[in-house]
Amino acid sequence: MRFSMSLFSSIGKKLFMGLSGLMLSGFIVVHLLGNLALLNPDRDPFNKYAHFLTHGLGNAIYVAEFLLAAIFIIHIVYAVAVTWGNWMARPVGYAKVTNAGGTSRKSIASTTMIYGGVLIAIFTVMHLYHFKFGEVIMYTTKDGQQIRDLYAVVYQFFGNIWNTVFYIVVMLILGFHLSHGVWSAFQSLGLNGRRFTPFIQGFGYVFAVIMGVGFIGLPFYIYFLTGGAQ
Amino acid sequence: MEKKNITIYVKVWRQEDANTKGRFQTYTVEDVNPDMSFLEMLDVLNENLIKNDDIPIEFDNDCREGICGMCGVVINGTAHGPKSGTTTCEVRMRQFKDGQTILVEPWRARPFPVIKDLVVDRTAFDRIMSKGGYISVRTGGVPEARSILVPKENADQAMDMAACIGCGACVAACPNASAALFVGAKVSHLGLLPQGRPEAKRRVDRMVVQMDEEGFGACSNHGECEAVCPKEISITAIARMRREFLKAAVG
Amino acid sequence: MKLDSKVPSGPLAEKWDKHRFDMKVVNPKNKRKFTIIVVGTGLAGASAAASLGELGYKVKNFCIQDSPRRAHSIAAQGGINAAKNYQNDGDSIWRLFYDTIKGGDYRAREANVYRLAQVSNNIIDQAVAQGVPFAREYGGLFANRSFGGALVSRTFYARGQTGQQLLLGAYSALMRQVDEGRVDLYPRREMVDLVLIDGKARGIITRNLVTGEYESHVGDAVVLGTGGYGTAYYLSTLAVNSNASAVWRAHKKGALFGNPCYVQIHPTCIPRSGDYQSKLTLMSESLRNDGRVWVPKKAGDKRHPNDIPEEERDYYLERKYPTFGNMVPRDVASRNAKAVCDEGRGVGETGLAVYLDFRDAIKDFGRKTIEERYGNLFDMYKEITDEDAYEVPMRIYPAVHYTMGGLWVDYNLMSTIPGLHVIGEANFSDHGANRLGASALMQGLSDGYFVLPYTIGNYLGGTELPKVSEDHEAFKEASNEAKARYDKLLSIKGNKTVKEFHKELGEILWNKVGMARNEKGLKEALEMIPKLREEFWQNVKVAGRPDSLNKNLEFAGRVADYMELAELMAKDALHRTESCGGHFREESQTEEGEALRDDENFSYVAAWEFKKLGEWELHKEPLVFENVTPTQRSYK
Repeated sequence: MRFSMSLFSSIGKKLFMGLSGLMLSGFIVVHLLGNLALLNPDRDPFNKYAHFLTHGLGNAIYVAEFLLAAIFIIHIVYAVAVTWGNWMARPVGYAKVTNAGGTSRKSIASTTMIYGGVLIAIFTVMHLYHFKFGEVIMYTTKDGQQIRDLYAVVYQFFGNIWNTVFYIVVMLILGFHLSHGVWSAFQSLGLNGRRFTPFIQGFGYVFAVIMGVGFIGLPFYIYFLTGGAQ
Repeated sequence: MEKKNITIYVKVWRQEDANTKGRFQTYTVEDVNPDMSFLEMLDVLNENLIKNDDIPIEFDNDCREGICGMCGVVINGTAHGPKSGTTTCEVRMRQFKDGQTILVEPWRARPFPVIKDLVVDRTAFDRIMSKGGYISVRTGGVPEARSILVPKENADQAMDMAACIGCGACVAACPNASAALFVGAKVSHLGLLPQGRPEAKRRVDRMVVQMDEEGFGACSNHGECEAVCPKEISITAIARMRREFLKAAVG
Repeated sequence: MKLDSKVPSGPLAEKWDKHRFDMKVVNPKNKRKFTIIVVGTGLAGASAAASLGELGYKVKNFCIQDSPRRAHSIAAQGGINAAKNYQNDGDSIWRLFYDTIKGGDYRAREANVYRLAQVSNNIIDQAVAQGVPFAREYGGLFANRSFGGALVSRTFYARGQTGQQLLLGAYSALMRQVDEGRVDLYPRREMVDLVLIDGKARGIITRNLVTGEYESHVGDAVVLGTGGYGTAYYLSTLAVNSNASAVWRAHKKGALFGNPCYVQIHPTCIPRSGDYQSKLTLMSESLRNDGRVWVPKKAGDKRHPNDIPEEERDYYLERKYPTFGNMVPRDVASRNAKAVCDEGRGVGETGLAVYLDFRDAIKDFGRKTIEERYGNLFDMYKEITDEDAYEVPMRIYPAVHYTMGGLWVDYNLMSTIPGLHVIGEANFSDHGANRLGASALMQGLSDGYFVLPYTIGNYLGGTELPKVSEDHEAFKEASNEAKARYDKLLSIKGNKTVKEFHKELGEILWNKVGMARNEKGLKEALEMIPKLREEFWQNVKVAGRPDSLNKNLEFAGRVADYMELAELMAKDALHRTESCGGHFREESQTEEGEALRDDENFSYVAAWEFKKLGEWELHKEPLVFENVTPTQRSYK
């Protein structure tokens, strides 16, 4: 098979999904770390970090954004293609499906990857709309810089109960998605071993919980502990 | 010692042929001895049907001892029935309760079209095998057996993989109707042996292409296949196939 | 008709080499002009089809299952013999030859058996190169074991799945040829007749089991590798679809049937539990290495086995055969089990079982050791019987397992019909009157890989084979006959099902042509079978349509053939008034009740020619022993 063709085989697609999934996992780790700055009562560090990302990197940020978007899109496009193929593979369904149990890892998470994924994709667009392309409030930092007050936008946003609930729900779904996605990505990349696989399965769960709790933590903190007040 | 015979209701898929729509029909089987096998219960039902000028239910089966891979139906939503590590012919009626309704469905996958009732066409597996499920050697033109050393660990692992009986339960149970475990087991069995290495790349390449062409789904690592596999083949096989595939793709 | 075995002249060890040189070789360019029809995809059929395809012939390969990989060779557990002498325990081709011919109770051809022993080594090489995962030791070399009472460790094995692994090897070679376009596969096809043109086998008629269509296939030679006829007994260890119809069709077209009465009955099967039983499950005879066989001394003792004290148990094998004890050969063990059950000392609900007790072995070696040795078998036993053999003795009973008889073939594996070759269990074979453990796989593969591909060339190269087509009158006639036969079966619409008839036939065979036969019983059988056959054709009830998948109809056709074959089995058993191997005539036994051979009168192959239904002519192929001296087997 030509190399280019192997990318479109059932295994190639899953390889790319696994790889892009792991990259996106890496991205959300960085994202979560960045979010921590929002817990700081001082808004300057966060806003400066945000400013650095958008203005301090020159053109590199466009390259990075492009790559990130590309990874996202690869993950989504392949997910849709794979899922569509999977649906086509069973035109007549079973009247009853019982989980086999035992060593099976089939779960709500594993069977709803596409739905969770679609929700997360929609969420991502909204998320960009809320913040990246959201309201621009300029302010002056303590050291006299005139930059965007994204901190304020975030606090304002999570001052609203519906926004907060929506984010918490989606982040729960992200956690679910990761609970199957992380170890599954390794398996899709062919990384499996007697000792490694149980480890990575455990790691996947822990990672999913950390990410879920971490991302839920922020809106939860803002709404319930600060009430949106800055 | 004395066991009570039970009554079973069998709700079974009836379909005249590939082009006709199927439906479920429920039959009553009385006086079922709990020591009976599931297929013997269907035998009894069929004898009753024949006597009543009805058409017996068609189901594939042959060795009736769990090794030929011919039998296979979904029983109450699980391929090969509720017990792990067994084929349909090894299911015993003592696993069911008196008065229970048992739902019986054929394997369902696009590459496994129904031929009649519970009988499906699994020749897709043979076509995949023809694309590389072998080591290309000529009869007689082979080295002395002893000249090929195989580490015990490899031999044992290869045997684990070679235990596949080609029943298709992996496909039936997979939410995606993927044949990854079947192909993975074959690729792994041959790939683990030194004899199989020379054509490892060509093998995985061609088998995967054929697998895709047949219309099986992609593996998304649910692991249902491993849980229903009568020979308990691990999804390690699938990971190994992916490694082999990656090697073949880049190399 | 004069039977010519075509055994080459010269010293035993050189016969095969000399013969290979003497045989005609087909020009490679001409090979693709020949079409060879191979029926069956077991060890023999698949290995033959693959090897012939490789040689360049056009091969058409047929099987009744959905895939060639499912043939019943797959169920063989124990292993395959070869004279490799890897264990340095003094094995040799000669020893394997000697053990096999002695084990067969001197009722096989010397030259065939020697050839079998010779090529046994090539089989192992072939299987290993194909990737058959034989058990290995830590050094990477082979683990071998002794099997079936052999004194040397010559058995190669792949866990409990040797048959399946060897078949997958042959199947994989076959699928390679399919991919190369040299073999065309025809699954879900049943051969319903053999077509002869100018007295030569030139094709077959198959019934497409999915559509019910009758299909004609032309070839230059026909190879049958369709297995044995053990399912004539209804209950056996064979797969339920195993049948003798292909062989029987060929027999009725003129192929002589050799030694139909030689049936092997395996001693360690799980006994039947009820009327519904569809098949019997074999447990490896290795169980007899540690288990002790016994029945209560008193007839009708219905106590729980664990409540029967030591002094009231009869360890009859140990008592009668102090040297071999529980390890006596299959036929001896089986016969003795039947004898004690006939005395009313059988155990279990049906009274048709004996105990195989591991109590003492567990006491001596510990439960853990026994678990390691037989864990999977104990699990299987529990699965089927719901009994824990660690706590309660296993119940075992003999079951039909293998048929040594089959179509008569010469040294070239060709039957008395020119062009019709028969391989594997389907021929009357190299096992004589009794087959040793781990020898069936060897013979199937020997025929398919290493014998037939040579000898068929000799036939094709030396025979005039004018072109024929499917339109030939002979094909139409055979096709119409087959169709008429199946249509007839459907049209009878009687009161008894196929299964009921099959069970009845099996009962007759089991009781009168089973483990021990006598003149009275055989004569009764010869009266009962034709009557049952007549009733079958008047009163059978076959369900369903002719033009779709209809297993009931398939079975009806097979049982109809068994109704005829069974008569021949009884006839052969009646005529052979000696005891030998799997054939025990009660009239011919020693004072101690052991089988007594009659070499003076019966040192021959009985080959039966079909005249008309119920009428056969016996031809004898004398067996000449130039290299070994027949001795009476003794296991005392």
